[in-house]
Amino acid sequence: MTFLQQIINGIVLGHAYALVAIGWTLLLGVARLVNFGHGQMYMLGAFVSWWAVTKAGVPYGLALPMAMVIGGLFGLVMQRIMLKATFEQNLVSIMIMTLGFGYVLNGGAAMVFGSTGQILETALSTREITLGELWLTWQDAAIVVAAIAVFVSLKWILDASRVGRLVRMVAEDPKLAMLAGINVRWVYYGVFAFEGAAVAFAGGMVAPRTPILTSMGFDEVIMTFVVVVLGGIGSVKGSYVAGVALGLFTALFGALVSPAYTTAAAFLVLIAVLVLRPGGMSAGSAAGVH
Amino acid sequence: MKSKSLQLFVLPVLAIAAFVAPMLLGGGGVVYSAAVLIAIFAVMAYGLDIVVSDLGEVSLAHTVFFAAGSYATALLSTRAGVSSAWLTLAASIAVALACAGLIGLVTLRLREFVFSLVTYAVAVVAMTLAANWAFLGGSDGLRGIPMLDLSLPGLTLTARNDRELWPFAFATLVIVIYLVARFRRSALGAAAIMTHLNPRLATMSGIDPARVRLQVFLFSAPISAVAGWLYAYQRAYVSADVLENYFLILMLTAVVLVGRRQLLGPVAATALVLVQEKFFSFGGNVDKIVLGAVLIAILAFFPEGLAGLARPLARLRHSRREPIQALTHTLEN
Amino acid sequence: MSAPVLELKGLQVSYAGNRALDLAGLAVAPGEVVGVVGANGAGKSTLVNAVAGWSRGAPRVAGPITLDGERVDAWPTHQRVRAGLVLVPEGRVAFGRMTVEDNLSAAFAAPPAPGRRVYSRDEIYELFPRLEERRLHLGAQLSGGERQMLGIGRALMMGPRVLLLDEPSIGLAPKMVSQVLETLRALARTGLAILLVEQNVRAAIEVVDRLLLLERGRKVLEGPAREVGDDPRIAEAYLGAAA
Repeated sequence: MTFLQQIINGIVLGHAYALVAIGWTLLLGVARLVNFGHGQMYMLGAFVSWWAVTKAGVPYGLALPMAMVIGGLFGLVMQRIMLKATFEQNLVSIMIMTLGFGYVLNGGAAMVFGSTGQILETALSTREITLGELWLTWQDAAIVVAAIAVFVSLKWILDASRVGRLVRMVAEDPKLAMLAGINVRWVYYGVFAFEGAAVAFAGGMVAPRTPILTSMGFDEVIMTFVVVVLGGIGSVKGSYVAGVALGLFTALFGALVSPAYTTAAAFLVLIAVLVLRPGGMSAGSAAGVH
Repeated sequence: MKSKSLQLFVLPVLAIAAFVAPMLLGGGGVVYSAAVLIAIFAVMAYGLDIVVSDLGEVSLAHTVFFAAGSYATALLSTRAGVSSAWLTLAASIAVALACAGLIGLVTLRLREFVFSLVTYAVAVVAMTLAANWAFLGGSDGLRGIPMLDLSLPGLTLTARNDRELWPFAFATLVIVIYLVARFRRSALGAAAIMTHLNPRLATMSGIDPARVRLQVFLFSAPISAVAGWLYAYQRAYVSADVLENYFLILMLTAVVLVGRRQLLGPVAATALVLVQEKFFSFGGNVDKIVLGAVLIAILAFFPEGLAGLARPLARLRHSRREPIQALTHTLEN
Repeated sequence: MSAPVLELKGLQVSYAGNRALDLAGLAVAPGEVVGVVGANGAGKSTLVNAVAGWSRGAPRVAGPITLDGERVDAWPTHQRVRAGLVLVPEGRVAFGRMTVEDNLSAAFAAPPAPGRRVYSRDEIYELFPRLEERRLHLGAQLSGGERQMLGIGRALMMGPRVLLLDEPSIGLAPKMVSQVLETLRALARTGLAILLVEQNVRAAIEVVDRLLLLERGRKVLEGPAREVGDDPRIAEAYLGAAA
């Protein structure tokens, strides 16, 4: 494959990573919650989309919102169960509970959807755009467009809308936000529902690229984590840039060195950054969203 | 907290009862197999226990330490012809220490959740390596691990099957429980609790929280590795599936189910889970859902664990004991 | 005296099993400024925090709190705020990472009601011209005094019936202190009920109608500022604060 083709792959992959990470970084930035079930929620979004299209005959355009609704609902359920721990900022309990949720999703999805790999074919994924010797599928292009749309809207909402202001207040100081008359509980619910819906959307959009398995999701968490470390916690712009950069790195590494160890390579990049420039990851740093 | 004399009497009785239990329950292969697995997984869980309950952090790398023990044992015994289990034990501990040291140093001054995420990533990467790297046997794994041989000159100590393995597994469990109890009474154990509950107070008492975290982490890793060491001999083959999430969820449940910092909590919880799995199973995926749901339910609704249900909630009474004892008393209640 | 807008009967607050406040009763009428003074740890902050249903810790609070005749002690913080029970806390009163303009935005539309004057952002700028000058500055870039103004400004935009203030003069220059307290006096004249916690007893006495002295969580003295101001126990509290 030519170098330019790899660049295109990298850009598509990068936008996918950014899209997967956006819900997670918002959750972390606003509610200071680490969701280890994120990868499994991504898997759920992918499988609900697949099931809707291939088993229930639902058009892809409807399957995506379906997956988002289910993802959002799951996020709400998670937050409801973890509400006490969220308010107490009991991060140990929260992390372990989200792991439990991921595990339940894993078992549940295997039970409902089976353990074999599945392929989600959409009208977009089977048609290609060719630019001379370079090509990408319409699905790939859709991923890029969707990611950009999501990021731009989110940034606008956070910076310029009333809701965004409330969210930023809760992100900076939830107690003070209560004194401003904000129902912080609802904001936490909202952010968790957003995480669920966003990651489900990402799952449904990115699923057509590769076969999907109910055991997948772990690599996605690592990629998300790398995006957040590189881009900065709660930074919308940072997540976008870091995601695309990571995508380019992964594509090139996979092509030039080894496709099986791309996650491991990303992990080493992560470690390098944590050791050399801890930044917002050091003990005592504040959270927030921007 | 039981009084000293009660402890001296009850614990040995419990130990003897536990040791003869498999025999009393019929002595069949299935019973011994379950007993050995309970012992092995409980040991694995104790490694995680001191990090979660005492230090108050979530390590997701103990499956890697467990696997390190298994793989070190498998590699040395099948590829290098090492027949003495003492040597494979030493190797397991060494590899675990090396891994823990690396992880610990990288995350030394980072936030706790970053530590957890790094351990999660290490586990995922380890799984990739175990499944793809030919050196580790790739997807086929390593087979043909010989029987456990802890023989010393003049004394034959081998185990060819689960029944013969039981005394060794049991002994390991007892030793580990003893070590955990000693740790909790030691200066490091007290420092860990302080760092957990009140880092500022700890620093003012001359404790370096980062160093304590590293030391406790380093102490915990070999414990899980020893479990892996035994597991390799028990199963006679090792593959990437020793890194599956199942072990992680099992360990976490074992640590929180009965209650934090309960000495016999992990082994009791492990026994409960494994008994359900072996004798009252509803199928693999349903078991997964049940186990995950139990873990969530305990933390969401019974944070004190099952033991907390039996105890009246008399938290944080005005205590005349010394600060450290008051803190540990609080934790135990 | 008109009917009290805020009424407390037997308010008890404990932190981790230790009783921090045991107040027999307190009532504040519309347009009245009540000052709460006392040494450090006397329970002043505990009092206003408990009335607002808020705390940076985890206290146990018991005792009826009535706002305009309605029981609010079972309500969560944000609900009390929306009903007009507004607290400007001690310490962090503004969002450091947001601009002054953003800080001065209401999270909800306060319902117009008798006795509730909802201030618009422009009115806040009129009240505190310094804030208008620094509209686009971030909260963290403001001085302590300006942040207090910001806190009070946002409180006013929520249309308070009762304004609770916890040590608004801390860290402020004397000129700033009198300006803030004057503003409060002026607000009271419009009918706003104010419960003011102050370390600076001398400044508070100039501005409050009634004074309450707390000692170790209990009320030891209460009365009109003019009468009670000369009580030696107040001077002790004053000396204690200055020493």
